[in-house]
Amino acid sequence: MAYKPQYGPGTSKVAENRRKQMNPSQKLEKMRDVTDEDIVLILGHRAPGAAYPTAHPPLAEQQEPDCPIRKIVTPTDGAKAGDRVRYIQFADSMFFAPCHPYQRTYTECYRFRGIDPGTLSGRQIVECRERDLEKYSKELVETELLDAARTGIRGATVHGHSLRLAENGMMFDMLQRSVLGEDGIVRYVKNQIGEPLDRAVAIGKPLDEKWLKAHTTIFHSLGGTPYRDDAEYIEYVQRIHSLRTKYGFMPKE
Amino acid sequence: MTEAIYPQVRIVSARFLRPDTAEQLLNRLVQVGGIRRMSINGPSIPATVPYGPARGQPNPHPDRKVIHVGDQDVQLQVQVGTIILELEDESCISAICEAVDEVFADKDFSCTVQQGRYMKTQPTMSDYAKYGPDADKEILGLVDPRKKGGPIIIQGTK
Repeated sequence: MAYKPQYGPGTSKVAENRRKQMNPSQKLEKMRDVTDEDIVLILGHRAPGAAYPTAHPPLAEQQEPDCPIRKIVTPTDGAKAGDRVRYIQFADSMFFAPCHPYQRTYTECYRFRGIDPGTLSGRQIVECRERDLEKYSKELVETELLDAARTGIRGATVHGHSLRLAENGMMFDMLQRSVLGEDGIVRYVKNQIGEPLDRAVAIGKPLDEKWLKAHTTIFHSLGGTPYRDDAEYIEYVQRIHSLRTKYGFMPKE
Repeated sequence: MTEAIYPQVRIVSARFLRPDTAEQLLNRLVQVGGIRRMSINGPSIPATVPYGPARGQPNPHPDRKVIHVGDQDVQLQVQVGTIILELEDESCISAICEAVDEVFADKDFSCTVQQGRYMKTQPTMSDYAKYGPDADKEILGLVDPRKKGGPIIIQGTK
């Protein structure tokens, strides 16, 4: 029988949302329109319209060693062109952000190729070739994985994911990269490392509380779905915990 | 250091306050009176980018503002989340609760007033190691005594 991934345990809505995000055959809902130039501005790695700087000559121009793996794996566009490796980093608020660091890494590993994600408690970074990065970033920003108020694109000084929200509902950002305007639209006024942009980049309105609670992938005992309510999830985590603890003693089930 | 005889309260809002709300709340508290010392806490908003590739560049932030409290201008250096007060006696606590309720009546989030011990009463070993024996005891335990610019003094009505 062919292997069919289950993506994750759980019977709760949160578990279902997690599986939906991870499953590459499920299309993520598009929430906003952001242009390619906007993405380049927020990332801040190159000027919009500039050529991609390279780390090595294009693969077609250089002699490749005779390697069976290279014959199996098709290089991504960025690798083919010899682009530099660049990054995008997100911070997700604990107050019902649509995604969170571990979830992002799982989702990206299932959906994208040629990436190197780094997962931390409050932030998640993904590195890849610049051309691929811009393509992937566009998907990460435009779809339901991002909320304009509770997700921050932050290359440095990410502090804020576990803090109270501001009065207007925005996640705390020491550098205030994104600002909620009078018209209710969030605009990035600085790039991800905190350098002011020449023009503000609009990324749409923050999603409402009801939508966030229905689409969040975060268990939360205050106002959300408590982790303890999902018995299947608990059972799975306890099983993994028990097996890895007993591993040195050669567990037999 | 504080004298343990004075009661202390802590005002904690469910959301971080905008500078104008903080200004409104602080002015209302000043009107109530009976406050010996006050400390405004919250995550720092630095004037320059503290680290990362843009380190040292100016950090324009809409919430890093000068607010006017009582008869003094106060430069906010944090996003206001908690206000700690040291009071003259316990009789002011109910008036403070009323003042807080009044300011937050039209907001869609709550704010609580808690009574307890929130300021240090004696220096710790780390304080001694960090700031030495001659640190200013008036502000030790509230803010970093090495910080330039002392406390802001708001004239009371007594």
